[in-house]
Amino acid sequence: MNLSTEPWIWIGAFLSLSIFSFLYKDNPFYKFAEHVFVGVANGYAVTFYWHRILVPALFDPLFGQGKLLYIIPFVVGALYFTRFIPKVSWLVRIPIGISIGYYTGASIPAGIQANIIKQIQGTVLTPENFKAWHAGEMGIVWSIILFIGVLCTLSYFYFSKEQKGVLKVSSRIGIIFIMIGFGAAFGYTVMARISLLIGRLQFLLGPWLGVIR
Amino acid sequence: MRIIDTLLKVDRRIIYLILAVVVILPLLLPSPQKVRVMPPVEKLFWAVDTIHEEKVLIMDFDYEPQTQPELEPMGLAILRHAFKKRIKVLVLSLYVQPLGLAKSAQDRITDEYNREAKTNADSIIYGRDYVFLGWQPPPLVPMLGMGESITEVYKSDYYGNKTDTLPLMKKIKNYNDAELLISLSGSSIPVSWVAYAQNRFGIRIGAGCTAVSASDFYPYLQTGQFTGLIVGMKGAAEYEEMLEAKLNVHKKRKASESLPSITYAHLVMIAFIIIGNIGYFVQRRRR
Repeated sequence: MNLSTEPWIWIGAFLSLSIFSFLYKDNPFYKFAEHVFVGVANGYAVTFYWHRILVPALFDPLFGQGKLLYIIPFVVGALYFTRFIPKVSWLVRIPIGISIGYYTGASIPAGIQANIIKQIQGTVLTPENFKAWHAGEMGIVWSIILFIGVLCTLSYFYFSKEQKGVLKVSSRIGIIFIMIGFGAAFGYTVMARISLLIGRLQFLLGPWLGVIR
Repeated sequence: MRIIDTLLKVDRRIIYLILAVVVILPLLLPSPQKVRVMPPVEKLFWAVDTIHEEKVLIMDFDYEPQTQPELEPMGLAILRHAFKKRIKVLVLSLYVQPLGLAKSAQDRITDEYNREAKTNADSIIYGRDYVFLGWQPPPLVPMLGMGESITEVYKSDYYGNKTDTLPLMKKIKNYNDAELLISLSGSSIPVSWVAYAQNRFGIRIGAGCTAVSASDFYPYLQTGQFTGLIVGMKGAAEYEEMLEAKLNVHKKRKASESLPSITYAHLVMIAFIIIGNIGYFVQRRRR
């Protein structure tokens, strides 16, 4: 055992153990660590925004270099604070509207292309898609399973018609695919959470206690 | 039946304790496990390995402390790979919190190489071999803006240097000078890179994600929108394995060292699930 002499390592270890203590039951150490985390994260972000964005990209050009055009983003941004003045609080809709308009315009075509058109292309039974599985001849089989899975899952979410006959069969098959998807997601979630635990334990056993290298 | 009743009433804290023991023991008593490399990681490895000399690799470090254990080993392995092959790297983060972790990963790997370097040419030098562009919000701005001009989006780097004065950036204008962009993130950022940077400018995207988001990302791998994909600690261990096997890079393999703990923890979880289900069916039959 080779205990660390670094104060920051000790602080990290203390905060980690404080958070872990919640597994036993809620307690003041957990609350303390939780509040420290929220405070530090927000303080860090606000400081960065001020020094890296607001000052060099807005205040310096506007007030330091006299670039008057920057008054427009300054005023639009400042309108967010009208929310605190009830009489003119409606003005907050202007910056919100600009943000929504910008992001909607940018994301709709990009989203449709990346998440719908390309995904539909990936479902079509073509030799290129067979190769994408890297499974040799089995690529055809996997592509067919994917094709059936997508159609059946979509039919499960088709609610405009009563699910009977062919629609009932396909929606039942769709449920099987959905359940397999949930199972895979749960398995991956277990792996992710265990990995996080391992990460913290590696820190506690390594840099702090010096038990592992 | 009494055993089943007792098992179903076990305090959850006992379960936590069992899991902790199962995870800690393999860390204290390491037993190397063979890592089988899967095609998604292999594809990403070769995509990095075959980057042309005049092109750069862009790395988006977007993991935060809560996803660091899964994603940091990937970042370290890819940086080791790039520096070993003398591939030029541009590093950036789309959010504030990952900046410190991105810097720490770069410092660690450059120190590793520079300790062994004998000449200036062997060393990894900031501005010549890699540049840390830092952070420029909102994420859409660098994603779209770097397609036009990287130095216009990032006028100064993380350390405050004017980017257009750095030797590496004099050769790099936009995505046309980058062969691959790898996004390491615990959120849907890699998909945003596909939607904005790839759709519009055609840059190849690779992703490293947490295991939780893996099932959301596989469709993008199957369609070829992702050049390769590294999933969780297991994926990072696969990359470390490739690095050692193909390039003879023998460094600390943090992800590979964790695999026995993951394996045993999974076995315990499976056992818990089976016991829980048996208990449920026994109780149901009794009613």
